[in-house]
Parts: sequence; structure tokens; C-alpha cells
Amino acid sequence: MIKSRTTQGYLLNTLVIAILLIGFSFIKESFGKAGDFKLIIAPSIWQCCYLIILAASLNLTLGFLGQLSLGHCGFMAIGAYSAALISLAAERGGVFTEKSGAAFILVLVGCILAAGVLAALVGLLVGIPALRLKGDYLAIITLGFGMIIVNIINNLPFAGQEGLAIGSASASLYKNGLGFGTALKVTYVWVAIAVTLICVAMMFMFVRSKYGRAIRAIRDDEIASSASGINTSFYKVFTFAYSAFFAGVAGALYACANATLSTASFAFSNGGILNSTFVVVMVVLGGMGSLTGSIVAAIIMFFVNYQIKNGLWVKLLPMWMQNIFAFPMLVYAVVLVIVIMFRPKGIFGTYELSLRNFFSDMKKQRQNRLAQKQESKEALNHE
Amino acid sequence: MRKLLSLLLVLALAFSVIACAAPAPAATEATEAPAAEATEAPAAEEAAAPAGDGITLGVISPNTGALAVYGAAVTTAVDLAVSEINAAGGILGQQVSVINTDDQFDPAETLNAFNSLVSQGVGLILGSVTSGCTSAITGAANEEGVVLLTPSATADSITTEDDYVFRACYADGFQGAIAAYYAKSAGYTDVGVVYCAADTYSKGLYDSFAAAAATYGLNIKAVESTASLDVQDYTNQFASMVSSGVQFVYAPYYYDVIGPYIVTQARAAGYTGIIMGADGYDGTPDYVVEGADLTAFNNVYWTNHYDPSDTDPAVQKFVAAYKAMFNSTPNAISALAYDAVYMYKAAIEKAGSADPAAVRDALADTSAVYSGVTGTFSLDATGTPTKGAAILSFASDGTTVTTKLVDVIKELK
Amino acid sequence: MSTFLQTLFVGLRLGSIYALVALGYTMVYGIIRLINFAHGDFIMVGGYTMIFTIPVMVSLGLPVWVSVFLAILVCALVGMSTELIAYRPVRKKGTSMTALITAIAVSLLLENLAQAIPQIGPNPKVASQIFTAGGIRIADVTLDWTTMLTIFISIVVMVALYQFTQKTKIGRAMRCVSEDKPASILMGINVNRTIVTTFAIGSGLAAIAALMYIAQYPKVYTTMGSMLGLKAFVSAVLGGIGIIPGAMLGGFVIGLVESFTTSYVSSSMADAFVFLILIVVLIIKPAGILGKNMGEKV
Repeated sequence: MIKSRTTQGYLLNTLVIAILLIGFSFIKESFGKAGDFKLIIAPSIWQCCYLIILAASLNLTLGFLGQLSLGHCGFMAIGAYSAALISLAAERGGVFTEKSGAAFILVLVGCILAAGVLAALVGLLVGIPALRLKGDYLAIITLGFGMIIVNIINNLPFAGQEGLAIGSASASLYKNGLGFGTALKVTYVWVAIAVTLICVAMMFMFVRSKYGRAIRAIRDDEIASSASGINTSFYKVFTFAYSAFFAGVAGALYACANATLSTASFAFSNGGILNSTFVVVMVVLGGMGSLTGSIVAAIIMFFVNYQIKNGLWVKLLPMWMQNIFAFPMLVYAVVLVIVIMFRPKGIFGTYELSLRNFFSDMKKQRQNRLAQKQESKEALNHE
Repeated sequence: MRKLLSLLLVLALAFSVIACAAPAPAATEATEAPAAEATEAPAAEEAAAPAGDGITLGVISPNTGALAVYGAAVTTAVDLAVSEINAAGGILGQQVSVINTDDQFDPAETLNAFNSLVSQGVGLILGSVTSGCTSAITGAANEEGVVLLTPSATADSITTEDDYVFRACYADGFQGAIAAYYAKSAGYTDVGVVYCAADTYSKGLYDSFAAAAATYGLNIKAVESTASLDVQDYTNQFASMVSSGVQFVYAPYYYDVIGPYIVTQARAAGYTGIIMGADGYDGTPDYVVEGADLTAFNNVYWTNHYDPSDTDPAVQKFVAAYKAMFNSTPNAISALAYDAVYMYKAAIEKAGSADPAAVRDALADTSAVYSGVTGTFSLDATGTPTKGAAILSFASDGTTVTTKLVDVIKELK
Repeated sequence: MSTFLQTLFVGLRLGSIYALVALGYTMVYGIIRLINFAHGDFIMVGGYTMIFTIPVMVSLGLPVWVSVFLAILVCALVGMSTELIAYRPVRKKGTSMTALITAIAVSLLLENLAQAIPQIGPNPKVASQIFTAGGIRIADVTLDWTTMLTIFISIVVMVALYQFTQKTKIGRAMRCVSEDKPASILMGINVNRTIVTTFAIGSGLAAIAALMYIAQYPKVYTTMGSMLGLKAFVSAVLGGIGIIPGAMLGGFVIGLVESFTTSYVSSSMADAFVFLILIVVLIIKPAGILGKNMGEKV
């Protein structure tokens, strides 16, 4: 009936996601003890959502364009701060008075969009000069930009450490802005899921469009692709800005979920898993060039981090393991080294998980593995 | 195969270092290791029987990350206080257990830790240490009806917005004002400030100092800042103080910057006047450069929550018990966390139960008087203690630095 | 005038440190084209080695700075094992991107491992005085002996490294490896051994940098290498990475920019200016100040 495999795939994915969502909304209250959904699962969904968007968006530049950006959280910071400030301004201007109703949802959507657009604009500004460089130089220059962005936010009189980090403003973000408390996080969990689905769909469509083909060509051979008529600098800057857009959206979700902002959260590295280094780690773990890999890696990373620190089972482990788990960053560093050593292309490589092709892919993979074994055996025999 | 082997060897080596070294800490340094061990044991029991008899106290502190030092200070002090309380029969006849959680000095992780504690049925939480992290959970604490008592988040607004939030320390507004008050009473009119623009604590103190300076008629002639706490060189900042001619500089930083960097560099830049700081200076004498000319530390003043050399029996008992248990001198954060546990004890006993709402009402009673290591005080309507601040100074004969009490200011005139 | 001089001296002090660290960076980068993010953490390793060995030196009656030799040894060992365990397998299999990420991972690992070891822990440590204080006074401003010593040492190291890479056999092998790895294998150069030697020298230099760093800024903590390493790396890139005199020049430029920004522009924006300068220079001269812009091979 439906001819194109892609269309079939899209339909199947939409169907499965819809079924999962409906099923989820029916059984969500029965998770764990009473209150677990509100206290643990809903906040976890929010955090997973922004981590997924962040990791997947970095994968556009890192995996598909092949350019390492070490300042991705800078764009997230721009998104978070602009969404927070716009929402506070809207409240002061009387656009919404309580966090419900059409006006608030409109403001919320507006804030998320504005956050993305502003981040994309800055991405454009950064990308035009920075993308003239490549490789290590680009890495260091994006790192520099990330630090400058945080440094500037710190010094803005209405933002930074003094404006939004200290209690009063954080309380105002919580009370008056788009910061959600525990109950509202449950009410608006659909916003997080919807935004994530839309963003991921947009990224998938980008990757499969002519833009995606162009940037993969640039990744594989810049000179050859430029010789075949691809405007490399346009595609590079465009991808960079496009990826910054989603980082900004992730920032807006971050502002909603945490209701408090502090520039330390968006630094190159800090105590938590949300920083420019760990976004790179997520992308690498998942596989550079696999959006589904990034999504899975973001979820795994969040889950492991959460469990190591808050899981009750950790207390049942032997003492020496608890002592190691007391330093989660150490565990991640070791895991990262191991994964890179044994699977330098990440867990998924460039493979995209697809529901439609799942079984045929599995089969193919098994055949490939068999073929490889056969080959190596033959090679041995020859020797 | 070789790769795997080498990797395994390195892993085994690294983990055995940690795993073996932690339970048998070196006598001098490892203060946090025994605490982690001792406090995790009751927590494990708690996990098995969350709803049993007994009172559970949740603790949120930065146990790893940039401020792990403060996490250790809090967990050790809570450990000490709880073991004392339990040895004396507990609160209302019930034993107290503690669940420690790590906020990694990150607001999002703080919220996760908070939610996890609440879902385990904890209604009384002690934490977090910093203003930035604590402000991430004040709203949620109010919403969930969980009492939050922070030992050391000093930002003014932590307690003003929410009914369920209290603290054991005084607020930045008071601490900065005391410094300004002291400058005025010592006869200075022109003052300077060096602060860190990227640090909530430093910036908050600068703001309150500036506000109080305006009230007291002080003229802030020079303001310099640093971009991060990683900055090593403060010479230019103090050279600018010298050229503007001020003799009193307010420099709200932490001990690990004051000791090795600021004081010596300021003196080398030719600044001879007073350097004044806040509770972050606590512990500086352990962080000075051995063999350098330590007379630089004369003329350095700071405000603190308590004075470890105080002869008051409560202070001496605490310091002695802490030293006996962890083999180091407690800092102000430890003292505050210790007091916070006893504040909970007093409030629970007053309320007659550990029910969060009842405890909240008990803590909200502004007439209740708490007497602890950091003074005798009661909470004001917002939930911030009104207590005096000790003004301390460093004294040095050139080879060692000691702390001495200058004054205790009970209230500002 | 005195403000200017003071600012200049502070700039030189910072710059000499950055230059010394940048030399180690550039050394490694020049050979294997890998930003060794862990280089800053080697400085941390050197710093802690000295913290722990200085009391031993004092009890043996030796001068305090002698412990640097132990630090060089430890750092060289750590550097070589990093290369053997982490970088070499990845270099064989992965791309330059995976190698870079391995470097980040090693940096994370070293920092957090140090924090997890109870004898080190999260608490910073303060080193004792290493060289005698004092210096030359010009117009009421002091130029420290230590600063001058650092500048002197970095010049000596620079010249020595330059001579080493130009004149000695192994130095020439290093340059061959950096130019063309397969061809140098054909020429009978043991590439792996050359790279390990490079790492040993680069990490040993980190220990010397650590000595001069803690002589002026005596605080040692687990993350001390991250910002320092970053600034030094920026210096190396600015001067033209892989070029030994370039690292030196870049270090001083960055130090001076930082100091003059603090004094004359805005003290809290110094870091932003450092990176701004880097960005401007890289856009005008993508290969750095002393770098040669090479056309891309097809």
C-alpha cells in the first residue's frame, strides 16, 4: 500500500510512539510508590528531555558535520537565560498571571521558540568566523566562545550570578516565571515530551534532507564535496546555527525544569553531568553520526548518574563499590576510556535504530558477523 | 588482549587504592572517609525499613565536585551530632538516622537529591551548603511541605519567600553590614572592594557590604573583581587599591584563596591597610605558605559564626569531640551543621513529633531560643537567626598564623 | 607609571608560566597532532608529587626544589603510561576526533582519581616557600626573582628543546614522525618509541612547569590543571602550535593580555579577552602568529 520505506518507517514510528504515550498516560500513576511519579519520574523525564535534545543537537555538528564543538552548553545557557528573562518580563507585563490557561501556554511556547532563535543567532555569529577553522583549532575556539558567553552572562547586571542564581530571582523564576514546581512539572510533562519529539523529528528530517547528505559529504571529504558543487561554508555555518537552535530549546526546558539558573551549570566542566564536556561524552558514547545513539546515550547517562547517586540499591553493595560510586565522575571517565578503546565509533556507530528495520538489521548484522568470522578463519587458514 | 590486560591492571590498581585506602584513612588528612562509612551504615538500615520507628534526617551536601570540602564538613558534623544524640537516647526516645545525598554543587542535581529524599519519606532535610544549590529546592520544599534547614546558605532571599525554609547561619545582608559597620567604627571613610564576579557568595557579600556602606556613609572608592575562583593573581587588583589610596579593602573570598594568594600578593603589591573578609576566611591558618614571611597576615580581619578558640564550654566541647572523632579542627560550616541538627532536635521536642508541619511550626516560633556552638539565638520571622557575629583577626609572628577574637557584635547600631 | 610597570610584571609572571606549560603542549602536539588535554593534569600530578616529597627533602637537608627531579620522574611515567594505555590503542583504531576525546577522558580520569585518593582528596594543599622572596625594585614595583628565574628557565627549555629536535638523532626522528608517519617507518624509525619519548619529555616539562607554578602560586588542587592547561594551550595555538618558539611567544602574549585587561579594561572580563584575542588571531592567521599557512593537500 504505502510504497516508500521512509514513509512506512515514519508511520510506524509515529504509531508506536503514540501507543507508548497513551499507554504511559494510563499507567503513569501506578509507577512505584505513591508520589514516585511526581517526585522521581516526572522530573527525570524533564531532565532526560533536555539532555536528549542537547546531545542530539551536538551530534549534528560533531557526528554529521564532523566538527568538534566544545562550547555547546554556552548556547544552552543563552536559551535558558533568555527564556527565563522573557517569561519574567511577560509576567511583569501582565500577559499571564497564573501558570495555566492559554495565555501561559502561549508564553511558554514563545519562550521556547525565542530561546532557540536567540541561540541560533549567536550560533550564526560564532559560526561564521569559527568555522573557517577546523579540527583542533575549531574545538578550542568553540571552547573559548562557550567561556566568553558564560563570562558575559556573569557580568550582565540583570542575569548571571546576581540576577537569577540567588534565591530571590530564582524564587521569582519559580513563582512568576516559567520555572515549574513539582506539581506543575507533572501537569506540563507533555510540553517536555512534545518539544523533544518535535525537535528530534526536525533533526531526523534535517539529516535525511539534502542538507544532511551535504554535511555528511563535507565530513567525509571537504575538498571533494566542494569540488562537486557543495557550498561548504554555507552548509557548515547553517548546521552550526541549526544545532545551536536546539541547544537553546534545551536551555529553555532546563529553565522550566529546574526553576533556577546559575552560570556554573553551563561551564566547560563542573561537578554534574550537564556541561560541554559531558554532552560530547554522550554523543561519543552513543555514536557520532547516530541520532538514536545520542538519544539512548543521554537517557543511559542520566539514568546511571541518577542511580549511582540516589538509587537505594547502591546502599546494598559492598563497601568498596560504594566507595567508588561516591565518585561518579571517576566512574564515567573510566567507562568513557573503555568505550573509546573498544568501540571508537561509539556504541551505535553510525547505525540508526529503526523500528521498521529492526529485525532485518539484526539479521543483517548477524550475517555480517558470521561473514567476518568466516573471513578471519580463512585468513588464518591461508597463513 | 594486551590492551584488555593493561586496562584491567590499571583499573584494579586505581580501584584498590580507593577501596582500600578509604576505610583506613591516614591520620592527618582524611576527614571525610570515616564519615562516609559511619553515616552510610544507618542509611542502609533506613533503606530496608523506611517507615519504621525513628527519625530520619536527610542531608544534601556537595560531597564531590568543586566544593567537596564543604560537603565533608557538613557530613562529619551531622555525623557527630547525630551520634551524640543517639548515645543520649535519641529525640523523644527515637533514634535518629541520616540519609546523605550528594548535590555535586549543581542546582539540577540538588533538585534530584531533594526529590529522591522526599520520595523515601524524609520530611526533615538539612541542606544544601551553598546559596545557589539551596535556592533550587526552596520552592519545592514549600510545595511538598518538607522542612528545609540550611546550615550555611547565606543569600538573603533563601528564607524570605518560603514558609518551610529556615537556616542556621545569618544572612549575607547581616554579614556584609557588619564589615561595613566595623569599617565605620574603626574610623575608615574610604574603602575598596575586591570580589569574584562569578561566585554567588562573594558577589552577595559585596552587594550587602555596598548597601550597608551607603547607610554608614562610607565611600567605596575602588571596586575590582576577578572572573572566576580559579584566578591566581590578585596583584593588579590590589595595586589599584593602592593607587586609589584606600586603607580598608573588603575581599570576600574563601580560605584557599586568602591563604596562598591574596594576602601575600596584596602586601607585595604595596597594600598595607586592612583586608577584611567573611566566614570564608575560616581555616586560613592551615593554608598559608610555610617558610614565607607571614607577617603579611597581620591586619587581616574577618567575620565569623563562631570562634573555635572561644572558652565557652559548648564551643570547647564541640571542638574537642570533633577533634576526637575526625582528628581535625572543625570549620564554621561544621559548626553550623552541628547546630542545625540540634535546632531540629529542639524543634522536634517542642513539636512533640517529627511531623514536618509540626516541626515547621516549632521552628517558625520566633520566641524559641536555641543555644549552640555558634551562639545563643532565635529565628526571626523569615527563618534567619538573629545572632551576633564574631570579628576575628589573624596575628602572626612571622612563622605561624593564629586567630584571635577582636570583638563580638550582637546587633548593628 | 608604577601601575603600568606592575601590570607588566604581573603579565610577565603569568606569561612565563603559560610559556613553560605551553612548551610541553606544543612538544606533544607537534609530533602526534593531538591536543593533550591531560597535559594540565600532569602539572597537577607534578604539584602533588612535590607536595608529598618536599617534607622528605627538608628532612634530608636538601634544598626544597630538588623534589622537582622526583616530580619529573613521576610525571614522565604518568605521561608514558597514558600514551601506552590510552592514546596508542585509540590512535591505531580511531580518528583524530576519537583521540581528542580520549584526551578529554584521560583528563577527567586523572582529576577525579586524584580527588578519590584519600591522601589527596578535595581539599587544596599549600606548598611551602620554594625560592627566597624578593627581587629587583624598579620605581617602587618589585620584579620577583622567581619570575625572572621562570623566564630564564623557559628560555633555557625552549633553546634546549629546539636544539634537541634539530640536532639529536631522536629529535630528528620526532620531526620525521610529525611530518609523515608511514614514511618514517620506512626510514627505519621506531615510531612508537619516538612517541613515547615525546610524551616522557613533554610530561617531564610539565613537572618543571609545576615547580615554577607552585613557587609563585603555591596552591595545589585536583583541578588546578584545567584552567592553566587551557590557557597554556591557547598560548601554544596563538603562537602557532607545534612551533617551539611560538609557544614561548604565545605564552607571554596571553599573560600580558590577561594582566593588562585586568588593570585597564575590566578585571572580571580577563578570561573573555584572552579568548577574544585567540579568536581574532586565529581568524587573521589561522595557523597562529609564527605558524605557516600550509595549503591543503588533496
